[in-house]
Amino acid sequence: MSLLRVEDLHTHFISRDLDNQIQVAKALNGVSFSLDAGRILGLVGETGAGKSLTATSIMGLLRPPARIMGGRALFQGQDLLAMPDDDLNALRGRDIALVVQSPKSSLDPLSRIGDQLIRIRRAHRGGTASEAREKAIATLGALGIPDPARRMQAWPHELSGGMAQRVLIALALMNEPRLLIADEPTTGLDVTVQAQILDLLRDLVRRTGIAAMIITHDLGVVAHYCDEMAVMYAGAIVESGPVRQVFRRPAHPYTVNLIGATPERLRLGATRTVGGPPPNLKALPPGCPYQDRCPQAGADCTMVPPDVPLGEGHVARCHRVAA
Amino acid sequence: MPIGRMLARRLVLVVPLLFVILLGTFMLVRLSGQDPVGLLAGPTATAAEIELVRASLALDQPIWVQFGVYLGKVVQGDLGASWLSNRPVLAEILERAPATLELMLWGVLIGAGIGIPVGLRAAFRPDRAFDQFSRFFSLLGFSVPTYWLGLIMLFVFFYLLEWAPPGMGRISLFLEPPPRVTGSYLIDGLIAADWEVASSAASQLILPVLCVAIICAAPIIKQTRAIALEVLASDYIRYARAQGLPKREIRAMALRNSATPIVTFIGTEITGLVGTTSLIEYVFAWGGLGQYGLSAIIAGDFAAVQGYVLMLALFSVLVFLVVDIYVTLTEPRAA
Repeated sequence: MSLLRVEDLHTHFISRDLDNQIQVAKALNGVSFSLDAGRILGLVGETGAGKSLTATSIMGLLRPPARIMGGRALFQGQDLLAMPDDDLNALRGRDIALVVQSPKSSLDPLSRIGDQLIRIRRAHRGGTASEAREKAIATLGALGIPDPARRMQAWPHELSGGMAQRVLIALALMNEPRLLIADEPTTGLDVTVQAQILDLLRDLVRRTGIAAMIITHDLGVVAHYCDEMAVMYAGAIVESGPVRQVFRRPAHPYTVNLIGATPERLRLGATRTVGGPPPNLKALPPGCPYQDRCPQAGADCTMVPPDVPLGEGHVARCHRVAA
Repeated sequence: MPIGRMLARRLVLVVPLLFVILLGTFMLVRLSGQDPVGLLAGPTATAAEIELVRASLALDQPIWVQFGVYLGKVVQGDLGASWLSNRPVLAEILERAPATLELMLWGVLIGAGIGIPVGLRAAFRPDRAFDQFSRFFSLLGFSVPTYWLGLIMLFVFFYLLEWAPPGMGRISLFLEPPPRVTGSYLIDGLIAADWEVASSAASQLILPVLCVAIICAAPIIKQTRAIALEVLASDYIRYARAQGLPKREIRAMALRNSATPIVTFIGTEITGLVGTTSLIEYVFAWGGLGQYGLSAIIAGDFAAVQGYVLMLALFSVLVFLVVDIYVTLTEPRAA
């Protein structure tokens, strides 16, 4: 059984415009995927595709006007979307941990690093302060932070971006979670630090057997660090499967264009084909959401595209793909 | 950071600040076109007598000489004498300051005691009925003219309802003020165990303090709400939710992070409140520093006006100093 199984997740932003008309932005339109323990899933897509929203929907962190309209998110067999708020809150930070992309502003500016680590441990697992302190020092040490006992005394504003990101990962690991969701964990860090952070995450998954989901717009990150990938477009997963498979034989025209648009490929002479404006979530066309930008679009694309299995778990949602 | 270094740096800044304030008020008072000489000499004075008075006040000297003499005296702690009462300005100010401080202290305490919790509650549950009500109240407090509020209070609670004593000073006219310890009639009355005096002083305090509290609470509600809303929308509070921290811990985190900006705001608010208090003192014949300053400005009592403004400047410096000490002690980033 999968550790996390998301089925047909729909999230909409419901608001009123200036004319007091109800506006519905369909931000997630039937997201489905599953993730096993010990695996790293890379969720890629352009800005506004719904990558972060998928994570916040699963974790129950949506705020109005966003609202979940349907679907299930089974974590260890329990539906997170149907769970009472307090139960879900107890699960967050304990079994499902989140690492976000703005580490420096995400730490409580008025608490020392050590106190924040101790606080999250004791909030979820109880125990004495000194037990939590030992655990915190051990966790910081395991993340390659030199002199962890002294670092416990540091204030958030004294940390560099890379160090703050490590502290955030330490916070996430304090309660030995089953699932780690990293939302653009390396945005804003310089390249060598990016690699260090991602190496750290990968080693962690290999060593502890937890599952990780990395949300990124960087295909390089997916190629180097993930086992599986899911490509999102307009709030739906258009292609998913093992990373190697998808990169070798990208099936969906969007994935093909996305991979062709990386700087390395462009240098090799690929034509730049991902053109056109991002989809308008308030007025998605019927059928395939990519039809307006797709070079292979035809009349049948106004029909809902099928999920075509391509073997070894590789699936593409497109009329043009043959099994 | 070493509080000592902060204090030293502040002290270095205060000296030029006070010099500029002294120069500014000195010049403004003299350029205001008021001439106290005629008033002092009286309606039957001859031209020679007027010149004599002018010379005795050193007003016939060049303005720079006048300023030099004044500055020399201020440095020695001599603020000059009031031309109206012939008493040293410093003595008069020290005599009246406790009355004003008493009014402001209670007013700000009550105003902040109402404003902060109301603002916080409004921020924690935005757009609910309570929030709407608090916004209405704070708008009301903003829009009401100070003196009008005082007059209406007197009209309603003294004249119509007869709940409050008349707005004539700090204690009933039939009572002797208590022996001076702190200068506050209420506290001195309590110290002297004179219950009649203490209760009279308390009942005289109620209306003017209420006025100050209302005027002071309005912006505090608005600012506290805005500050708390910003903190609640911050990355670290959102992340605290994502970490599944218990609600009360998130709330405590939001409170601690709101405290510094709120205290800073109340500091600026207090310094601004001095002007408001003067008007309230006038309406209630309070006899404090504000009323003293206003009367001195109207009468053209130069030395008194200068002393009054200098005192206000010193008061503001002191308030900001207290705020800075608080911030330095509570804010790790202040270092």
